[in-house]
Amino acid sequence: MLQAPSVVKGMSMRVVRELDSTLSDARARALRFEHEIGRVVLGQQRLIRLLTIATFARGHVLLEGDVGVGKTTLLRAMARAIGGAFERIEGTIDLMPSDLVYHAHLGEDGRPRIDPGPLLRQGEDLSVFFFNEINRARPQVHSLLLRLMAERSVSAFNREYRFPHVQVFADRNRVEREETFELPAAARDRFLMELQVGIPADAGVRRSLVFDPRFHDVDMLLGEVEIGVLDPQWLEAVARAIQAGVRGSETLEAYTLALWEATRAPQRHGITVEGVDMERLVQGGASPRGMSYLVRAARVRAFLEGRDMLVPEDIRAVFPEVMAHRIFIDPVYELRREAIVGGLIARLFETVPAP
Amino acid sequence: MRTRLAAALLLATLATPPAQAQVRSVELYAPRPFGYVIGDAIALTVEIALDPPFVLDAASLPRPRALDYWLDLREARLTDHGVSAGTHRYTLDLVYQTLYAPLEPKRLAIPGLALAATDGGRRVAIDVPAWSFLSSPLREIVSTGAGAPMALRPDIEPRPIATAGALRGLVASTLAALAALALLAWRMGWGPFGRRQRRPFAGASRTVRAALHASSSSAYRAALLALHRAFDATAGKRVLAEDLPAFFEAHPAFRATETEVCRLFDASRRAFFGEDAAGAQGELPAPDLVALARRLRAIERGTA
Repeated sequence: MLQAPSVVKGMSMRVVRELDSTLSDARARALRFEHEIGRVVLGQQRLIRLLTIATFARGHVLLEGDVGVGKTTLLRAMARAIGGAFERIEGTIDLMPSDLVYHAHLGEDGRPRIDPGPLLRQGEDLSVFFFNEINRARPQVHSLLLRLMAERSVSAFNREYRFPHVQVFADRNRVEREETFELPAAARDRFLMELQVGIPADAGVRRSLVFDPRFHDVDMLLGEVEIGVLDPQWLEAVARAIQAGVRGSETLEAYTLALWEATRAPQRHGITVEGVDMERLVQGGASPRGMSYLVRAARVRAFLEGRDMLVPEDIRAVFPEVMAHRIFIDPVYELRREAIVGGLIARLFETVPAP
Repeated sequence: MRTRLAAALLLATLATPPAQAQVRSVELYAPRPFGYVIGDAIALTVEIALDPPFVLDAASLPRPRALDYWLDLREARLTDHGVSAGTHRYTLDLVYQTLYAPLEPKRLAIPGLALAATDGGRRVAIDVPAWSFLSSPLREIVSTGAGAPMALRPDIEPRPIATAGALRGLVASTLAALAALALLAWRMGWGPFGRRQRRPFAGASRTVRAALHASSSSAYRAALLALHRAFDATAGKRVLAEDLPAFFEAHPAFRATETEVCRLFDASRRAFFGEDAAGAQGELPAPDLVALARRLRAIERGTA
């Protein structure tokens, strides 16, 4: 009887130690993953870090940027390095949900046949689903995607297909507005992050991207990426370990709630953005789901920094990408959204005290 | 009015020609020789010209003293003009005072002086001639007027000393001293200046000291919070641990404390986000925290 407490203690110590060693192994692999991507996608360290965070938080990502900045290359490299089954589809205006699920064609015997479409073809092992030009697809497709992202399942052939490891990457370009469909807010809220892809700032990187023949043939370039640095099933386990292993203190909880409160009513915290009427700017602040995604992503960031505690810097590092698209602002300011919401978030972190 | 009285004198009838030439001239200059009453001062000037290497023997000069019952020598001042054009010149200023009370105008004589010149070995005499003047009574022998003939006259009123300049100087220097004191207090953050916005570390240092008197874990957290708020106020925004490089970039004066400040932020992380109060106090013990707060305050006011 006297032994019991120490036995329990010993067991919990072992669990903690195992968790620790799992996490430190995982961190080494995560850094190697980042390194692999960084070899083929130059000058985008922050972007790659955020994509790594999304991957380890098992969150879906929407990439936004101009044409030809390397969004697709980046996502293909990610898919290679994550490993597992990979499917992609191009958004077009006449794409219907059934095109994702079913593949209708004539068989060799001349009879019409219906086979599983891109989404189902790989079965339940699907780990990366890559939706190119998502804003060209119709709302029907968006709602299918919504279910896939939210529940990781679709119904087809009179049964439910489950994709426990799927991670959706989507991209859209901001140049074209013709024949495109804005994503519904509910679908956008399901993306963990919306990332802006820009042109690298470094002049040397720009020069190599333009003149180095290595970057001209994308398929050759992607061949350099090691396949399966991560493993989808392992990722699920690590993601759970991270969420359990990285602690957030009461002070940090209070800080995060204060941030949330400040996004909902910035004027009450004395936050001002130049040329904006703060009383009417924010029409809807972040949702509880958004906040929980924020903490998920921040925990992964802490893990990548080699810490087992959550600090305000983690929240700040992922906040713009996780939260900016969840803050709904007055339509009057919608055209200047990026600058205004960016300014709002910057002022938020300058104002809310931490700790 | 000055009358030239004496000319060159033959000093000694038996003196050889070179010896005669040793004293070029002795000239006595005197004021008017009449109209003196009891108590008047009479200034005589003697100019003496010698041939170098002869010099006037200082021992032979008269010393201020009472020469007679009615005559005082008040002052005897010798001025040496040095040698020019082959002649050594002196001026001897003498001030006498007559205390003689004559009943009727009377001639009085100031006796001559016997001075001496020497070239180290030889010695020659210089005679300054006597001088006489008319002394007059102050009053009639028999009073002819009414009343007391010699009643005491009232004292001369003292003349006020000009003080306006000194007063102005006093006011100006007092103001300057007060201004300097105020400037010093502002720089050092004394008194009310310690609470102003631009000296957040002055207030934080006070709070830290006050909080750590309690020496509990919540007091330690309060002290950390006070320092965090001071960093925030100094930077004009919230400063997190990862912002420290930028903070030191913007406020290079604080770079001297970089190590300690990094320890402070580490300790704060442990205390607030690691829920490890003991570890935080191990990282930065309370006395170190007080010392750091004091150093930051000193840097802030520029006296570190």
